[in-house]
This record gives sequence, structure tokens and C-alpha cells, in this order.
Amino acid sequence: MNENLQQDVKIITPHFGELIIQNDQIFYFENGMLGFEDLHNFVVISEEETAPFKWLISIEKPEIGFPLLSPWLIDINYSPGDQYDIEKLVFFVVITLENEEGKMSANMKAPVILDTDNLKGEQIILPFDKYATNFIIEEKK
Amino acid sequence: MLVLSRKTGEVITIGASVTVTILGIDRGVVRLGIEAPKSIPVHRKEIHDKIVEINRQAVKTEFNALKKAISKARILLKNELQSNNVIEKKTK
Repeated sequence: MNENLQQDVKIITPHFGELIIQNDQIFYFENGMLGFEDLHNFVVISEEETAPFKWLISIEKPEIGFPLLSPWLIDINYSPGDQYDIEKLVFFVVITLENEEGKMSANMKAPVILDTDNLKGEQIILPFDKYATNFIIEEKK
Repeated sequence: MLVLSRKTGEVITIGASVTVTILGIDRGVVRLGIEAPKSIPVHRKEIHDKIVEINRQAVKTEFNALKKAISKARILLKNELQSNNVIEKKTK
């Protein structure tokens, strides 16, 4: 856990406004997110209007937020490898909007893993080629 | 840039905790064995760069744009139950 954050934290986000984040909801990312290595503390926000999507919001820079989705909502057989306890760890994939028409892609190759026991988080890159960085979430036909 | 010549089987150390072993060279392809502590992520640069690019794109997503996209694209969400975690779990 980050020793700098002993108390509840107030953040102001562009969409969610002012949020009081409890210390035990903050995940410490030792290496940050890829491309955002200077950000170490994140909170996952659920919001009814964009459920089941969630947002990984930076505590240091609350204007930075990653849309997230459970990889199993996209691929029920998603399998990141035996070294990860998928019963115990919480997995998300980062979602990107591809266009205005609602086409979205999911980065299945670089999931975000949260450990709710020690409040640590990381974005890993799976070492095998099975999963795409830009898997298109298909529309229901 | 430091340039070193190494033969198959030889090793380079980087700091106290990282070693790079030349496993083999075959028709222009070098196989490297890299040992590093978990705190030092090791990746192919092009994949790393691609993910950085995707992350930078993802953080530009506006709440309302996502909301709109969700309603437009009726997504194949295969198991709604899986998504109820983290915040809910923490607040119990």
C-alpha cells in the first residue's frame, strides 16, 4: 500500500465531480499503467449509466480515466495463464472507442489486474499471442 | 549506446538483478534469455509501444461518448454476473 495515502482522499473528476475515496479503495500500481508510469494510485469507479463498464481513475490526475470491462464479458473462455488466480484477482481490460458509431475495442493482451487483498494493481502484457491488443467488441446480429 | 559483442551462451548483466543470455543466433534472428525481477517488466518494444498508444487513446474516452456507444452497440456481453466486483466487494 502507498504510505503517502494514509487518509481518505478527495478527488475532483471531470465527469463524476468531487469524490471522497476511502484509503482501502485505492490500488497502488508500482509501475503505473503503460504510458502513464508516473501515476501510481487508482480507484475503480462504477457508474450505473455506463454499467457494466467501469472506470480506472487516477488519484494523482483524476482527469485520467481508463474505461474498463471484465474480459469474461467479452470472451467467456478468457484465460490469462495459470500463474494468475482468476478466482482471487480482479481482471479488467482497457476499452477504446474506435468511432462515433459505438464500435469499441478491448485490449485483451494487456489486462489490468487488481489484488483486493493487498490493494496492488498492475497492467501486464500476456506473453503469448492468443489475445489481440485491439479485439473488436462485436455488435449483436 | 553501449555496443557489446557476445557469443552464443554468453551473458550480459544489467545492474545487480538483470541478466541477458544469448541463447542462439539463426539466420538473422537472435534468441535472448532475459532474467529480471518482477518489478522490471520486460517486453518486445513494438508490443509495449502499441499498448502505450492504446492507453493514451483510451483515456481520451468521454463518459457520454461511452454511454452513447453502449446504447448503440448492443454488445455481446456473455456473462453479466462477472462484472459485479471491486467497489462492491470493498464496500461490503
